[in-house]
Amino acid sequence: MLISFYMQRALARSCIWAGRKGVIGYEREQNLSLVFFIGSHCVISAVHRCPALLGIYYSFTDWNSYSSEKNFIGLEHFRTILAGDPTYLLFIKNTVLFTLVTSIAKTVLGLFLALLLVSGVKAANLHRMIIFSPQVLSFLIIGLVFKSLLDPNNGFVNVTLRSIGLDVLAQNWLGSLTWAMPSIMAVDTWKGMGYIMVLFIAGLLAIPRDYYEAASIDGAGFGQKLFRITIPMLMPTITIATVLNITYGLRVFDAVYVLTNGGPGNATDVINTAVYSSFAKGYWGLGSALSTILFVIMAIISFFIIRLMNRKVEY
Amino acid sequence: MMRKRFLFSLVSVLLLSTLLLAGCNSGKSSEGSGKVTLTFGTSQSGIPRTGIMQTMAKEYEQETGVKIDFQVVPDAQWRDLIKVKLASGEAPDIFNVDVDPLSMPANVRPEENAIDLTNEEFTGRMSEEILPTVSHNDKVYGVSFAPTKIWYVYYNKRIFQELGIEPPTSYAEFKAISQKIKDKDIIPFYQAPASGWYQVLPLFETGPNYEQMAAGTYEKLNNNEMKVADMTQLKTVIEQLKEFADLGYFGKDFLSNTVEAGIEAFGQEKAAMLLRVPGTEKEVSEAYPAMKDNMGFFVMPWGDNQTIGVNPGGSAAMFGNKNSKHPEEVLKFFRWITEHDHLQRVFDEGEGNLTICWPEIEPKLTQDYIDYEKNHEKGTVMQAAVKYIDPQWMDIGKDLSGMFAGAMTPDQILQNIDKRRAEQAKVLKDEKWQ
Repeated sequence: MLISFYMQRALARSCIWAGRKGVIGYEREQNLSLVFFIGSHCVISAVHRCPALLGIYYSFTDWNSYSSEKNFIGLEHFRTILAGDPTYLLFIKNTVLFTLVTSIAKTVLGLFLALLLVSGVKAANLHRMIIFSPQVLSFLIIGLVFKSLLDPNNGFVNVTLRSIGLDVLAQNWLGSLTWAMPSIMAVDTWKGMGYIMVLFIAGLLAIPRDYYEAASIDGAGFGQKLFRITIPMLMPTITIATVLNITYGLRVFDAVYVLTNGGPGNATDVINTAVYSSFAKGYWGLGSALSTILFVIMAIISFFIIRLMNRKVEY
Repeated sequence: MMRKRFLFSLVSVLLLSTLLLAGCNSGKSSEGSGKVTLTFGTSQSGIPRTGIMQTMAKEYEQETGVKIDFQVVPDAQWRDLIKVKLASGEAPDIFNVDVDPLSMPANVRPEENAIDLTNEEFTGRMSEEILPTVSHNDKVYGVSFAPTKIWYVYYNKRIFQELGIEPPTSYAEFKAISQKIKDKDIIPFYQAPASGWYQVLPLFETGPNYEQMAAGTYEKLNNNEMKVADMTQLKTVIEQLKEFADLGYFGKDFLSNTVEAGIEAFGQEKAAMLLRVPGTEKEVSEAYPAMKDNMGFFVMPWGDNQTIGVNPGGSAAMFGNKNSKHPEEVLKFFRWITEHDHLQRVFDEGEGNLTICWPEIEPKLTQDYIDYEKNHEKGTVMQAAVKYIDPQWMDIGKDLSGMFAGAMTPDQILQNIDKRRAEQAKVLKDEKWQ
């Protein structure tokens, strides 16, 4: 990116020089804009678009670590993923379930916390900072901490439950088929709700006080204000939060990898742990195909969310 | 007029970019003419944790001026990372990889990536058992310091004496003594599914037992004339593991256990048995002095096994990167580290292994080990003799965890093993699977 910086600066200087030599007219402005555009576009294409397109291309090859050859094999990887092996459908299902639950949980908790922290509570900024701070920690750190907390024998959670006589609630949180995925979802929600809270605080502060005052005069209670004023006015923020939650959830990897590595068995494997596993085994074409499928899913879902929520906003 | 200005801008940009790139390039060439540094990439367990390799590398630097720069990566990541680095041409000058005769050619692709060591003097001094693990098509590419790797069940003699029980020689006996141990609130057998690889050992380290019961099994598997799922004796072992889990012989909530915690549990006498390799006595005794002379061993009785499974590879070997900028310096380092005195030091100040794959170095096996080996038949472990088993070791570990948790049946595990074998055979274009 350093090269990019110098290229941009050199480009700017060249344009200034060109500008001094003549009158800048409409036609010339167009050409100068084109020069800027070409410079930026080349950099973005080189580091972002080309690798993405190349990855999609590799989805149609038998690219692997065991041979230097790449043979075109058409849709074979996609057939394997979507029809040949039910395990992959489980990964997709786990990913969708994770995304759905954590998106809802983060949004609801984020909104709840945001409402609390704009209601005039003391030390609001301190609370915001504390709730937001997990967001800046690496999931590796959080994962190791929660692995320790959730250990079935010596973890803080189970030790506490047993010490107050609630042995029946003590679970093998990360090693149980029933509890592994909910545990990961809970940790991820805890980590990410602070970010959503910040978005909602910004959204709430942008709602004019006048609306609430008028509503109060008309005798509206908290519930009516929430559903008639707050949430409709927050719809653009909810749209952004939902898109962010869903694109993050569909791409989840670190939470699952660090806490359970997809276990027990494949119970918590998601698309990206399968991608990682494929690349690890050297099945690079297959890994690329999984990534491509994830990309398609994300694109479709994001498109429909934006369309749906924009319509509501217009209403 | 406009065309000239545009062209001037374009030329300016290109010129500046060229100068910038030239600046980067001159930096590299000046480094090349100075002191030589060899990068050494390895997993954590690929070199002794005692740091003897790093210590000796410092001495080598003082002697020759060539610096060895170690890049140590956690085990779980290194296996994957080195494949990518080799494929992209970014591998270190020297790289350590776990080897066995079947997987090494696919994982390393030595003809493209490794320096040929066939004609080196030190190659002729390595053990004949180890050479197949670092060779491909009759050429030698790696240097190993591996022990003869055998996994035994280590047991607490004190606990056994107090309960009046003897080391078992069959699964039924194994089960019976485990129940007695469990009745005393001691973990009978420490299992560590969270580490991912430990729970797989019973399936394949008992490979010689399968060969003994049905001669030619390995060959048929390699020729794709039978499937892993056809091996009833392997299914029996998996079912026995499941039974031990269900009966609580691995302890409560054992799914989160790791191997590291097992040493602790065994050392603190909370667990009566665990799987380890020779040399364990030293490691445990140093950390838990009360355990000195309190450890015995026997072969795993899964499937009524009484054979000793030997892995001729199973440990890391050093390879020189064929695409290194300093191939001659790599060779000189290999020649130096394999001098007799240096081999002795690697052995003496290493992990505490009792053997090393250099016949000129005297082993440190106790009489107990020597006698035990004489009295038991030995054979090659399954993953070192049957194709496409070792590469999926971690996947099988995950499957076994799934079985312990109730998500999978033994039959499904066997089917998955076959499916993954077929997958890899296809990618490698194995003619037996066409």
